Amino acid sequence: MNCTGFLLIGRGIKKILREPMAPLTGLGMSIFFLLVYNAGIGGIGFLPEFGDGGYLSFLFPLAIVSLAMGSSSGAGQNLHNDMQSGYFRRMYMTPAPRWAFIAAPLLADGLSTLLMTGLLIAVGAIFGVKFQFGAISVIGILALSLLWGITLSGFSAGIMLRTGKPQGAQIVTNAVFPLIFLTTTFLPRELITSRWLVAISWGNPVTYVLEANRYLLAGTSPKYFLMIGIAVLSFGALSAILFALSGSKKALN
Amino acid sequence: METEIEIRNLSKTYDGKVKALCGVNLSIPKGKIFALLGPNGAGKTTLVSILTMLCKQDNGDFSFSGIDSHRKTRDIFKSVGVASQDNELDPKIKTEELIIFQARLFGMSKNEAVKRSQTLINDFGLTPYKDKKTETLSGGNKRRLHCALALVNNPSLLFLDEPTVGMDPMARKNFWDTVGEINRQRNLTIFLTTQYLEEADKYAHNLALLIDGTIHYEGSVANFKKKVIPHKESSLEESYLEYVKSHSERQIEISKKEEIQ
Repeated sequence: MNCTGFLLIGRGIKKILREPMAPLTGLGMSIFFLLVYNAGIGGIGFLPEFGDGGYLSFLFPLAIVSLAMGSSSGAGQNLHNDMQSGYFRRMYMTPAPRWAFIAAPLLADGLSTLLMTGLLIAVGAIFGVKFQFGAISVIGILALSLLWGITLSGFSAGIMLRTGKPQGAQIVTNAVFPLIFLTTTFLPRELITSRWLVAISWGNPVTYVLEANRYLLAGTSPKYFLMIGIAVLSFGALSAILFALSGSKKALN
Repeated sequence: METEIEIRNLSKTYDGKVKALCGVNLSIPKGKIFALLGPNGAGKTTLVSILTMLCKQDNGDFSFSGIDSHRKTRDIFKSVGVASQDNELDPKIKTEELIIFQARLFGMSKNEAVKRSQTLINDFGLTPYKDKKTETLSGGNKRRLHCALALVNNPSLLFLDEPTVGMDPMARKNFWDTVGEINRQRNLTIFLTTQYLEEADKYAHNLALLIDGTIHYEGSVANFKKKVIPHKESSLEESYLEYVKSHSERQIEISKKEEIQ
């Protein structure tokens, strides 16, 4: 990325730092749900399906998935503000590459997600979440979280650029929210009694995000889930970036 | 005389129905202040949007200082400054910070950008406001900052679209003094659209009159005034109103004849 790209990423980060409530609220909610669910149903963590990480380690990917939902609305919001003020147009009339105006806020969102995930991991470690490969697990979780954050952020920004309304993030959150519950969020597949839920979970992309994280945490999922998770998230992030980029011309009109 | 903008047969139709521009040809000389005049809906904004690469023409082409419009927009933006009707400011950033950021988007180093911002802040009398967030500036100061931002890249051509809207008379005078000075010192070509005809009368060297997407006059301001009201010395406003009035009367007559036929 050239110098202009870094300038624009820096601008995106500054904007997030000026108004950090959304990512911080996302972090607070993730920690809250992690601790409350663990307090409520963590007693089943002794079952062998949860491995030696216990229920907290099993539940931890839920916190990561929900965290990104809080910290991925910045790009859409910032692009919307730039469009409203007309500054998007002014930036557009410079020699800076067009894609950088969209990609930079997405990357700033991604960096915000990384930071919040880092804090979440620190909190998880304090409460006893297991990271079976140590630092490698942490790096892997951060990478998965980054891809997940960019996916949500890209679709939010793309919807906002097409509709001109700041509710893009809300639309994406509403679409993803049911997916969080239609999978192995609270129990491993072997313990889910409804066949329909098990069937849906196989086609639910969130399943692979959760299971990829679980491989890196307590190892309760096999390694191939990590590979599928990386593939699903890479495809998701790339599609989301292209979706957002293709909306820039529309925004200008 | 050297030409800054050459426009050839430019046409634009919206939704296949509304003809905004009908084969516009214009030749704008370098280093002059050029005013594009016309009533609301004449096609001025469409023409400026096409020239500033914000929308695409259906037919025709144009060039800036010999740089063809088909070439990369990045090359064109390096030599063009645009101050459109809306202020287009980031409201949460301080005045100086915004100018520096804008300069850096044009590829200037940090030191160059700081120097450029100091020059523009002085030129446009923004020194007392350089550490203020742009959202706190008055309408006139926002307008001045907007124009300063349009000059950040040292352009050879500046588009000013209704530049003095919202400025008080003193601020307008100061603005034109500054812009006029830059025009003279740096041989800057200015493409102006305005509804303040006394400004065009006082500062513009040449004008074009655009009505219903067609150029009705192209030439010097003095010649236009003489052409429309030959028997006495008139202001641009009088000549313009006279021309537009007689044009609309002619149009009504034509419509009536067409109805009868």
